[in-house]
Amino acid sequence: MRTIYLDHAATTPVRPEVLAAMEPYAAERFGNPSSVHRWGQQARTALEEARERLAAAVGAARREIVFTGSGTEADNLAVLGRWLHARRAGGPVAVACSAVEHKAVLAAVRAAEREGAEALILAVDEEGRTDLGAVEEALRSRPCVVSVMWGNNETGVLQPVEEIAALCREAGVVFHSDAVQALGRVPVRVDRVPCDLLTVSAHKIGGPKGIGALYVRSGVDLEPLLHGGGQEAGLRPGTQNVAAAVGFAVAAELAVREQEAEAQRLAALRDRLEKALVDGLPGTVVNGGGAPRLPHILNVSVPGVDQESVLFALDLEGVAASSGSACTSGGVELSHVLTAMGRTADARTASVRLSLGRTTTSADIDEAARTIVDVLARIRAAAEG
Amino acid sequence: MSSDGRMTVLVAMSGGVDSSVAAALLVEQGHRVIGVTMKTFCYASTPGPSRTCCGLDGIQDARRVCDRLGIPHYVFDMEEEFTRDVIADFVSEYAAGRTPNPCVRCNSNTKIPDLLRRGRMLGADAVATGHYARIEEDGNGAWVVRRAVDGLKDQAYFLWGIPREVLPRLRFPLGELTKPEVRARARELGLVTADKPESQEICFVPDGDYAGFLAAHLGEDHPALTPGPLVTADGTVVGRHRGYARYTVGQRKGLGGGFPRPLYVLRVRPATNEVVVGAVEELNRDDVALGDLNWLTTPPSVGDRVEVQVRHRAPAVPATVVRADPECVELRLDRPVRAITPGQSGVLFRGDVLLGGGRIR
Repeated sequence: MRTIYLDHAATTPVRPEVLAAMEPYAAERFGNPSSVHRWGQQARTALEEARERLAAAVGAARREIVFTGSGTEADNLAVLGRWLHARRAGGPVAVACSAVEHKAVLAAVRAAEREGAEALILAVDEEGRTDLGAVEEALRSRPCVVSVMWGNNETGVLQPVEEIAALCREAGVVFHSDAVQALGRVPVRVDRVPCDLLTVSAHKIGGPKGIGALYVRSGVDLEPLLHGGGQEAGLRPGTQNVAAAVGFAVAAELAVREQEAEAQRLAALRDRLEKALVDGLPGTVVNGGGAPRLPHILNVSVPGVDQESVLFALDLEGVAASSGSACTSGGVELSHVLTAMGRTADARTASVRLSLGRTTTSADIDEAARTIVDVLARIRAAAEG
Repeated sequence: MSSDGRMTVLVAMSGGVDSSVAAALLVEQGHRVIGVTMKTFCYASTPGPSRTCCGLDGIQDARRVCDRLGIPHYVFDMEEEFTRDVIADFVSEYAAGRTPNPCVRCNSNTKIPDLLRRGRMLGADAVATGHYARIEEDGNGAWVVRRAVDGLKDQAYFLWGIPREVLPRLRFPLGELTKPEVRARARELGLVTADKPESQEICFVPDGDYAGFLAAHLGEDHPALTPGPLVTADGTVVGRHRGYARYTVGQRKGLGGGFPRPLYVLRVRPATNEVVVGAVEELNRDDVALGDLNWLTTPPSVGDRVEVQVRHRAPAVPATVVRADPECVELRLDRPVRAITPGQSGVLFRGDVLLGGGRIR
C-alpha cells in the first residue's frame, strides 16, 4: 500500500543535508562547548557558528539566540521568563496571549495565572484572527508580555503580527510570537516585524527533534526557568546539544532560502486538495478559509463523520493526518482553536488537519484526495446505516 | 469478508497477555488485524509519570505488541459509553443493595457491541477478544458459544449478555488453548506482555477499594454507605454495619466479633438499611430467580433440564426450569448452593454450550 504523509505540521523528516552536517558532532567532535581544551573549542566554534546562521535566517544578531530543548520550552521561557521577571519587580502582573495559541503558550499563561498573575486571553474572530481591539484593551493592563503566534498550527491562519507588534511597541510592552509553523513557510524576520521574543523549532523544518530556540531582542529581560552552569547567557543552563544546533542552523538556512518557491508550490497543492475535498464531500467547511493562511496547512470540518474513526480509517488506507493538536483526545472535545473560532462541539463532525511538506508531491495530493473522499464517504454511510 | 475467508478483525487489546496472543493468532491465520485499546475511564486527573491516560501502561504495552506483530493499533475513547453502561450500573446496583458484575456489563454492551459498531467505520467485519471461550457455527448457520478447552480459565460465564445477533461477527481465538500454552506462545513471539500477571481487580477500581469508589460517586452520606443495624433473620439486632453497600451475600469479614458462632451475610435490605446475618447453613438455597434475561440459543421452557452457574469459578449445578417467561426465569436446583447473590449473574449451560442467563433477583 502506498503511504502518504500529510502531517508535516506535527513533524518532518530530517533532511539529508542536515543529517550530514550533524553527524561529525555526534561522534568525533563530541566536545562540551564549555570546556577549555581543543575538543571544547571545536564544539564551541560549531555551536556559535550555528547560532550565527540561525540568527541570520530570522534577521537577528548572534547573541540574541538562545538554544532550548524544544519549541515548547522556548515558549515557556518567553512567557514564564517574562512573568518571573515582572513578579520580581513587585506589584500586580498580567500576561496576555491569544485564545488560539499553541498549548505551550496557553498552558504557560495558565500556570502564571495559578500563581496569581492576571491572564488576558485575546479573542479571535470566526476565522481565528486575533482581534486588534482586544489587543489594545489588554495593553491598558500593561501585561509583562503579549504572546500571539505567527501562524496557527491547527488551521494555518496567519495572525496580524505586524499590527500587534506595532501596537505593543507603541505601548512599550514586550511582544512574543511563536513562529514554529511559520518559519520557512512565510517570511519571518525580526528586523521587519518588531518582535521582542520569537520561538522557532527545528523538527518542523527538516531539522532534528529536541532543539528549539528563542530569539531575545537585546535589552529584553527574562528570568531563566532552569538553574545550573550558566550556559546560553544564563537563560538555559545545561550542556548544549551541539549536533542538533548545527542541524537546526542548516535546516533553517535551507528553509528560508527555499521559502518563496516552496510556499508557492505548497499553496497550489493545498488549494487543489482543498477543492477536491470541498467538491467531493458536501457540507465541508474550510476552517480559517476566509483568512490568509500558511501554505502548508489545511483544516476541514466534515459533517456526518465520526471524529475518532476518521484518523484511524485514513491511517488504515495509508494517509497520515491529524485532528487539531496531537494531545487533544476524545471524540467530542473540540480543539480550543476551533472553539475560540466559535465552533461548537459535535461528535458527528470530524475536523481534520492535513499538512504538506517538502516531500509532498503533486501525485500524493491527487491520490490522497481520492482516498480521503472515499474513506470519509464510507464512514458517513456507516454512521447513517 | 473476502472470498478466501480473510476478514478484517478488530481485536480488543487490554495490554495483557491473552488479548496479545489472540491478536497474534489472527495475524497467523492471515486475517487483516487491527488492534484496539478501549480507554474506558480517565485513570487519573493529576499529571505524573504513567498516571496520565496517554501514558497508561496497558495502552503502551498493547501498542508495543501491535508494532511487533506489524499491525496498526488505535485507542478508542469509550469513556462515555463505559460510564453510561458499566460504571453507572455498578454504582446503582450497589446503592440498591445488590452485587453487580461489571465485566458482564462491559462484554454485553461496551467491549463487543459498541466496538463492532465503531469497527464498521474502519471496514472491520468482526471483533475478537482474548476471552477463554469458543464460538462456532453449528453447521446449520447458527452460532453457539461454548466453554473453553481450559476449564480452569474458562470465561463463558461472563459472556451470557452478548446480543445474539452479533455472534456471527465475534471471535475468541484462545478457546482451544490453555493459559500455559498462551504464555508459551507469547514468549515464542517475543511479546512484552508474555509474563504479565493476571489482572484481578475491577479495572476501574484498580486499588480494590470499591467502597471508596462508591463514596466518590454516591457521596459519603448516601444511605448505602450509612451505618445501620445488623440483624438476624428473626429481627434480633446483633450489631452495627458500616453501610450495606460494603456487604455482599456470603461475606464473613467486616461484621465485627464477639458472636457465639461465625456469622455470614444472608441478605441486604436497603429499604430498612438492615444487613441480615446468620449461620453458614442459612446461606444454602435451592431456588434461583433471574431477571434482565438474554439468550444465545432458543430460550428455555418450563421443565427443561439445564445447568446453572451462579458465580465465576463455581461449578454449574443441574437444575430444572420451573418458570420461564420473557421477564423472569426460575430454577429449582438439584442440590442447594451457598451464597446465591442478588445482582450477580446466573448463567445457564447445557453441557459446554452457553444458553444465556440473567441477573439474580
